[in-house]
Amino acid sequence: MTDRTDPSNSAFTHADDELLPCGRLVSRTWDDWEQQTDDAHLRSCPHCRDAVRGLDDLESVVRGLRAESADTSAYDAEPLTRRIMDVVRLELRPGRPLPLGEPAEDLWIMEAVAARALRAAAETVAGVRAGSCRLVDARVDGTDGTCDSGGVRLDIHAPVGVSLPELTDRVRARVWEAADRELGVVLASVDIRVTDLVAGTADDGQEGRTP
Amino acid sequence: MTAHHEITAHAKLVEEVATAVQAVPGVAFLRPGLADRLRSAPARPTPGTGGAPPAGVRMTRPDGEGPWHVEIHVVALRRARTLDVARLVRSAVEHRLDSLVPAQQTPRVTVTVTGLV
Repeated sequence: MTDRTDPSNSAFTHADDELLPCGRLVSRTWDDWEQQTDDAHLRSCPHCRDAVRGLDDLESVVRGLRAESADTSAYDAEPLTRRIMDVVRLELRPGRPLPLGEPAEDLWIMEAVAARALRAAAETVAGVRAGSCRLVDARVDGTDGTCDSGGVRLDIHAPVGVSLPELTDRVRARVWEAADRELGVVLASVDIRVTDLVAGTADDGQEGRTP
Repeated sequence: MTAHHEITAHAKLVEEVATAVQAVPGVAFLRPGLADRLRSAPARPTPGTGGAPPAGVRMTRPDGEGPWHVEIHVVALRRARTLDVARLVRSAVEHRLDSLVPAQQTPRVTVTVTGLV
């Protein structure tokens, strides 16, 4: 085993190089694909067409994977294009990796990937909208260099007229459960901050909303 | 062995590892590498293979003849527990390399989950 250090991402990241030969940003072309923007340039430009061809291929693969799966969880109900874009956007802005599993295992998950799963878990509590979700890597913040479990800091919008202590307890439990059962990340703490109270809407009574 | 043969052998090793990773239960696919492909247009083929290397596998030997350092970037299925998938990937890489180059020292395998679908 090796000492845990951040994995080398040098061969995988080119965050400052997004420009296609036609002058458009890859990120914009991908955004237009996701939004199904009707754009003559997108249809005629060979570089942009190349940029979205990979997305089309990926969509076909993910559609096939979903067809095989009987998973009906809330997260799985997200629009297909959004899930694909989550994957490919991380190639442009990969963010930072967080440790998975035991110390020295050299297994990692990108923070944005873990955060999305935890936000989705929080939003399975009726009326809750998840905002910023920050995972703290205790390994970085600690002083003794060991790989202690980190914590999560999650902002939520809560519905009016409910007991906030009870609500946050339920959100905390869902987040903890998702971290353990879905990801395999042991959290030392789950800090919930209610940043706003929002009036309920007709569809808030149903659990399982996705971001 | 010539430089050309070394490159070809390395590319084949990467392909073998990539195939092993993609067969792991809970793996959706290797990191797609769409951004890399766009930036390298026209695509630079790997010498001797005629195709681009898998974007989610990187194999290096930092010490020349020392153990391999294998870096895997993978997109996992959400229905599987992410940690379990990452451990299976590491195990699959170690077993595949052990069967392909049995005399080698134990590789260092780094697995990063870059997406869930």
